[in-house]
Amino acid sequence: MSGPYLRYAAKRLVQALAVILLAYVFTFVVVSILPGDPITNVLRDPQNGFTEDEIRQIIAAQGLDQPILVQLWTSLSHFLTGDLGLSVRSSRPVTTLIAEVLPSTLVLASSAFAVALLLAATIAYGTQFLPKRFGQGLLRGFPSLFLSVPNFVIGLVLIHVFGFQLGLFRVIAPNSFWATFFAAIALGIPISAQIAEVLIANLDHESGQDYAAVARGRGLGQFRLFAMHLLKPSSLPVVTIVALTIGELLGGSLITETVFGRTGIGSLVQRSVSTQDLPVLQAVVSLAAVVFVLVNLIADLVYPLLDPRVKLVGGPKHRPTTADDSSAGTPQAVTS
Amino acid sequence: MAPQDGLTSTLIRPEFAAPRPLRSIPLLKVDDLSVAYGAHQVVTDVGFELGRGESLALIGESGSGKSTIARAVLRLLPSGSRASGRVSFDGQEILRMPERGFRPLRGRAIGFVPQDPGNSLNPVRTIGAQAHEAAALLDEPDRAMRKQLILDILAQVGLDNPQRVYDSYPHQLSGGMLQRVLIGLAILPRPSLLVADEPTSALDVTIQKRILDLLSRLQDELSISLLLITHDLAIAAERADTLVVLKDGIVQETGRTTAVFASPASTYARKLHADVPALNPDRYAGLRDPGFRRAKAEPPKIEVSAVTKTFTLDGQTLTAVDSVSFGVPAGTTHALVGESGSGKTTTIRLLLGLEQPDAGTITVAGEQLNGRSPTELRAAWRHLQLIYQNPFTSLDPTWKVEQLIREPLDRFRIGTGQERDERVHKALADVGLGQHLLARKPGALSGGQRQRVAIARALVLKPDVIVLDEPTSALDVSVQADIVEVLLSLQAELGLTYVFVSHDLALVRQLAHTVSVMHRGRIVEHGTVTDIFDNPRQPYTCSLLASIPSGVTDVADAPQPQLIVAAE
Repeated sequence: MSGPYLRYAAKRLVQALAVILLAYVFTFVVVSILPGDPITNVLRDPQNGFTEDEIRQIIAAQGLDQPILVQLWTSLSHFLTGDLGLSVRSSRPVTTLIAEVLPSTLVLASSAFAVALLLAATIAYGTQFLPKRFGQGLLRGFPSLFLSVPNFVIGLVLIHVFGFQLGLFRVIAPNSFWATFFAAIALGIPISAQIAEVLIANLDHESGQDYAAVARGRGLGQFRLFAMHLLKPSSLPVVTIVALTIGELLGGSLITETVFGRTGIGSLVQRSVSTQDLPVLQAVVSLAAVVFVLVNLIADLVYPLLDPRVKLVGGPKHRPTTADDSSAGTPQAVTS
Repeated sequence: MAPQDGLTSTLIRPEFAAPRPLRSIPLLKVDDLSVAYGAHQVVTDVGFELGRGESLALIGESGSGKSTIARAVLRLLPSGSRASGRVSFDGQEILRMPERGFRPLRGRAIGFVPQDPGNSLNPVRTIGAQAHEAAALLDEPDRAMRKQLILDILAQVGLDNPQRVYDSYPHQLSGGMLQRVLIGLAILPRPSLLVADEPTSALDVTIQKRILDLLSRLQDELSISLLLITHDLAIAAERADTLVVLKDGIVQETGRTTAVFASPASTYARKLHADVPALNPDRYAGLRDPGFRRAKAEPPKIEVSAVTKTFTLDGQTLTAVDSVSFGVPAGTTHALVGESGSGKTTTIRLLLGLEQPDAGTITVAGEQLNGRSPTELRAAWRHLQLIYQNPFTSLDPTWKVEQLIREPLDRFRIGTGQERDERVHKALADVGLGQHLLARKPGALSGGQRQRVAIARALVLKPDVIVLDEPTSALDVSVQADIVEVLLSLQAELGLTYVFVSHDLALVRQLAHTVSVMHRGRIVEHGTVTDIFDNPRQPYTCSLLASIPSGVTDVADAPQPQLIVAAE
């Protein structure tokens, strides 16, 4: 860990925090502009039987009569201390609601991610080694096929075949191992397509580079050329792609959870939208922003460690050893 | 400049020397080799022989199939290509040998030195890691010993600090150092044949000479056979025992270098010989020499005095141009000569007003250019045009030739539509292109035609001054000769003033009147072309001049060429 790297990391960290705060403020503003005030709706519901006086008192107690900037400040300071407020519907802390469903979503998302990486790697590396007559072209067609089928369709097909026909898992026990496994496949397939496309394009590009021919001229076989030369440079851009697909993973998990009947962030969001439970929605959107920013932060921090050519903003990390060849003229006699 | 004499004193470990040659069979024998990429035939019935410890050069321009032959010998042809004929290495037919059988030869018996050192090493792995791949071909089980052998070879190819090079990534080394590394890796497994594909075309002139010297030295000391692929007849003649001249994949002429070089028999070889600037310094004397009188009589058209430009990069200040002064009399050619990083490109950017100098003045036709507003500069550009280095990227590929040449007239709102058409036609005729090309797009033109279009585009405004930034460096020598001829005739006819930027001293000697030699942002020497080339005073100028390939082997103690079996 050199000085420039730490400076770079600190800079990126500060930027990440700024993005999270801005995202929070943005959702807060959007939510307050939206028509319909859920709190007033609930309080004015005749069934609850509040008088106008009581309603005014509650609103004052909640600080909802304050100017919007004051409300934003209160909300932001609560957010920063980890207090996300109470659900309007259930009156339970939003943090508790999220904590209940988060593990299930995390399990699904991370297994889907593992499926995506594995599948993408298999397809991409297959295109490099499979001879043309054994279906290399077919393999190359997989990513576009995967991209063009929505994940809920894949999910329904999987449920039908493996759940109902083969009876491999019980549809009414959605958190069982096999149910999670197939949900992860449904979610992972479209994501694997994006990663595979980038990997294949990079592998094709790198294997056409001069250095690959030179390495073959040095006597390297097909596999060693791949493992020692092509793998790393062609995998580097995948780090960036992975960070970008996290958003898709989050969005896709909402749909997949619905299809497979799982409880999770998806079902929480669905319920909160239908009941206009704004504190919960605000919290979930902020959570999504935090995850997104964190993953991209990690990608930014990892990349310079993997690629020696990346020049860090904030200081010259690599200085050319010499500016020209002039020093190369005087060889030293080597005694051994 | 560090003296190069030290190179020859490096000791060669006896085990690096190949066993004494068997003279009976040639090391490499190519017969009736034909290669096609799909339906496109690129090499037709090529045959040659290369003896042990000998060197052979394949010479040709782009599209001559010379690199394809090298790749065929290495069996590194891209997929989709078909090769027929016979290639035998050390008595073994290798063209149809299964890959499994050939692999042990690649690297171990046949080494490869590529064209562009900057792209020929894996950018994300250290030099050391890649060197170990070459070292793995040695029968040395101990990794520490293998590392020592790597460090030895890096020292042997003239790298100062082998351990530092070993630990570096490719982007941390200069092009010349990378090419030394690649040569070192190629000779490390002690091959008996080294295939060098344009090993110096991506390098500066002085470094080119050092790399070629290194190859010649190693070839001598280790008695390696060298198959040299080059477009430069002068280099080939200087470095090879046998020449094979190729055009469109067909052998034009083949024979001992002395014979082919002294009296080329084929038309193509004669033309090639006449087009190489290094071999024909006075080729354009008739067109150029009238300018020498103007140089004495005319007032300066361009005056650059004490111009300095610094850039700040990563907190470090870099003086790209350091109090540079020169004057160019009207109707003459002034050449700025130097290697990459010498500041010649920054100097012309300053001259054109694309950058503002930190100090000094630039005057063109009596008007001071620096410190002008963009609008005032625009007016000046009407008389001051630039021709770029690479016609393959400087013309918009979606435009027709007519639009390309006409655009400057439209931009400056010159004349009526009718007059513009006439000027476009005139400009096209001036650069020797037919009117039928007006409707073509750059993609349908050859490199030489494109550069002519670029010249026509500059000429159409009737400028007084044209700045030429390495206008022929992306072109073949025969095309270069055409372009130079066009430029010089235009100068003789229209009295144009040229500022000519080049790293090619031989070309400068052919066409310039006055020369400024630049080195690290400064003009180290300045004078008429005869002064600079006949009486150089600065050691840097001398080293530049010494790096011009002369076409004559200058190694006095070179061994007599061994006998090869005559093909006929």
